[in-house]
Amino acid sequence: MPIDVDDTNDELLEDLPASIDGRLQRLLAPGETIELAMASDIRADGSFGDTWLVGTNQRLLAIDPADTSSEPLALDLRDVLSIELRDFEGSGALHARTSEHGVTLARFSRTFMPKFSQTPRHLEQLVRRQQPERAAEDRIARGGADMQAGARRRCDRCNRVIPRRFGLCPACLETRKLLVRLLSYAKPYWALGTLSLVLMIVATTIGLSPPLLMGSLFDDVLAPTAAGSDLRPLLDEYDGYTRLAILVFALLAIFVSNNVMGAVRRYVLAWLGQHVTFDLRNEVYRHLNTLSLSFYNERETGRVMASITQDVSRLQDFISDGLQEVIRDVLTIVIICAILFWQDASLAALVLLPTPLLVFTTLHFGGRLQRTYRSLWRRWAGISALLADTIPGVRVVKAFSQESREVGKFERRSEELLGGELRAARLQSLFSPIMAFITRIGTLVIWLVGGSRVLDGELSLGAFVVFTGYMWQFYGPVEGLCRLNHRFQRAATSAERVFETLDSQPDVRDVPDAATMPRVVGRVEFDNVTFAYDDTTPVLEHIELVVEPGEMIGLAGHSGAGKSTLINLICRFYDVTDGAIRIDGRDIRDVELKSLRDQIGIVLQDPFLFNGTVGDNIAYGKPGASLDEIVAAARAAHAHDFLMNLPQGYDTVVGERGTRLSGGERQRVSIARAILRDPRILILDEATSSVDTETEVKIQEALERLIRGRTTFAIAHRLSTLRHANRLLILDKGQIAEVGTHDELLEVDGVYARLCRMQSELTQRKVW
Amino acid sequence: MPYAERTDPAEGVVTEPLPTYDLMNELALLDPERVRFSADEYDELYLCIDAGEPQGPLTVQRAFPVSEADEFLSLKDADDAEVGVIRRLDQLDAASRTAIEEQLQWSYFACTITAIHSIEVKYHVPHWDVETDRGPRVFQYGSRRDIRVLPRGRVLIRDADGNGYEIPDVSRLDAASQAIVEVYI
Repeated sequence: MPIDVDDTNDELLEDLPASIDGRLQRLLAPGETIELAMASDIRADGSFGDTWLVGTNQRLLAIDPADTSSEPLALDLRDVLSIELRDFEGSGALHARTSEHGVTLARFSRTFMPKFSQTPRHLEQLVRRQQPERAAEDRIARGGADMQAGARRRCDRCNRVIPRRFGLCPACLETRKLLVRLLSYAKPYWALGTLSLVLMIVATTIGLSPPLLMGSLFDDVLAPTAAGSDLRPLLDEYDGYTRLAILVFALLAIFVSNNVMGAVRRYVLAWLGQHVTFDLRNEVYRHLNTLSLSFYNERETGRVMASITQDVSRLQDFISDGLQEVIRDVLTIVIICAILFWQDASLAALVLLPTPLLVFTTLHFGGRLQRTYRSLWRRWAGISALLADTIPGVRVVKAFSQESREVGKFERRSEELLGGELRAARLQSLFSPIMAFITRIGTLVIWLVGGSRVLDGELSLGAFVVFTGYMWQFYGPVEGLCRLNHRFQRAATSAERVFETLDSQPDVRDVPDAATMPRVVGRVEFDNVTFAYDDTTPVLEHIELVVEPGEMIGLAGHSGAGKSTLINLICRFYDVTDGAIRIDGRDIRDVELKSLRDQIGIVLQDPFLFNGTVGDNIAYGKPGASLDEIVAAARAAHAHDFLMNLPQGYDTVVGERGTRLSGGERQRVSIARAILRDPRILILDEATSSVDTETEVKIQEALERLIRGRTTFAIAHRLSTLRHANRLLILDKGQIAEVGTHDELLEVDGVYARLCRMQSELTQRKVW
Repeated sequence: MPYAERTDPAEGVVTEPLPTYDLMNELALLDPERVRFSADEYDELYLCIDAGEPQGPLTVQRAFPVSEADEFLSLKDADDAEVGVIRRLDQLDAASRTAIEEQLQWSYFACTITAIHSIEVKYHVPHWDVETDRGPRVFQYGSRRDIRVLPRGRVLIRDADGNGYEIPDVSRLDAASQAIVEVYI
């Protein structure tokens, strides 16, 4: 019977190398089958090298392929008490205990940590089969905490390390695919896109004609030659002045039409780009709002914000400018080459001679400049970080009289910055002259070769002028194309980040045709609830509890015991891993999210207020609440008095995140906000932790009234806060340690009684 | 358990949500029919309930000075304790209303900007030269936070010294003033 494995980890049976396989077959007893084989990378003596952990239906074996002399370590599954994943700095180990001793089954570098994070649980299954008498509560697997939590460190596809700055794997960027997908956003506007493309092609072509006219000016007007320029057939029947007038007029027409077309095209492009960004920006934000909390937990806030503010605008740059510029540059180069070769192929070849040099220089310097600027940027960031650190900490600096040390630190950074700036300046001042010189080489060639041909009478003066004219227009597009790769790469990176967001699916979402939650009576049932963030160690295990309507449950326990997680599950911020939560007998996964959350009021320890007036914040959960309701809720939460002492009362703007109010004031506003919704289930997560004792007593009195008729869950570290609770639920390491009233729990003399004693001792000590 | 159960002929035993506390009990509103306000010769405000002894002197504070200036007026005694709340000013009799408005006029002293002559920025500080309903004024403010732009073109300004100014609707200023003020709001 194979081990039950979820599809995320199907590598339990890795391919054993032949050398071990042979040895292993000899070791196996009759009827013994291999259930698990995993390679690790540190050997028992600490050197790097393959070792193997093999689990059979009877034993656990640790085999070192290099060590053929000694017997492999073997452990009978019937002896195993526990299996633990040990999480060390720089390495990890899988450790098993029997009743007599402990054995290290495998050691591995942290690279293998994710692979082994599930192993204790897999081995537990093997052990349980050999020890069917073991009770389910008797835990065997330990450790393996949050291995995947936080940002992804390695690419899922190629296993390369992901640069933090990018947040995604640059090697796996499929630039072309991304850009094609990006262009699909421009599809609704394809007509405009085509229009601007046509305008651009026409404008570019026309824009390239002045040197031809100039040639004609020389060969047909100023110093007419017998053959004349290519335009001669058009001018043949006129005299000199008329020809001049025609040329001047033609030039004027070109300038005017070119600029008009340019203006129209620029606006059309801007319109197109802005509309695509508008669509994309709104789509990204809309999508972000549907995503579950787990999405936000895995990412830095700044990175998520950047996808809307930076990435989307970068994409606009690409859609509206980048792509068309590429087409224009290529077109210009092709047309100029065509004209030059048509005029005089050998001279054209000479003129284009410096082009490779130009390309090389641009790429070389471009890369170096970019690197220099990046390092400069890092140094600037370092200085900002230093300042952000020491200026707010100035009291500490002065108290320990470390000013000179801080100044020294700053000067060192400042000096590094100076060095970087100077290097950039050096590069920059070299770059432009070199580029100018290279382009001048072309001129030199034309003057030398072209000039002598003019003297020889092989080349007309006009043709000479045409060559000089086009040369100047030639090098710009070449440079532009050299920077192309960098530009596309940047756009692709941004596109990937944006699409990554758009492609993420919310973990918690309505099932198809989810029913609306009727008005909640308030019976909350935890049916064998187990929950793990990221599928590793469960944060809550086998929670069994029925909360009656209108009951107040006080949640207590050490930090990290799972109290807040329990609350997150009631709000369905996350879905349970196993078991079910039922409200009034309905599984909360079967009802519409909005209809569930609409009936829950929540007060958080660090309440988040939005930048707006206090009144708006109180009414946040009930848009359109009357003034009476707002004031009544504020009074109930004891916020009215302090609000009235603000010059602008309820119209006071609270500032970003509500920072212009103190922590206690914010908590009171957020209690008012929760209560105004008239929730059927009220959740108080350390709701009064930041207020002073006197206010807390008042709020407690108020809460006693407010919780009437509602099912209430309250978390508190200060146990006195929970004295109105009908029952107390004490969590310990994700499991229910005790449930009962205050008196009952004191009688039991367990975790709660100990916490109570400690807190009363603490207050007594404080009084002294 | 103490929750409401009733027997429904069709559905059997049905549990219903328990009644909750009515938030409106929290509103300590004064009954407009029973209160009289008056000011003595020193312009101090007194309150009589049912023709009883006058309480005072009182101060008036607005709960919503910006959005609903004449609703929810809180009365406080000399110890800063709330005596009561007036739900709406227009519920009161004329004499009481006058007495309270007299107080409010001073405790929320602000002027209305009717025209803007110029705004000059010197050393990052905008200097406003304006015409108000109380006469010409020149003022400065130190931060963008001192200027609050509300819906429908309403603008509130608190100058560097703490004085208040209001533009009720920017779009109803004359064109020249609008052109000047546009960049600052």
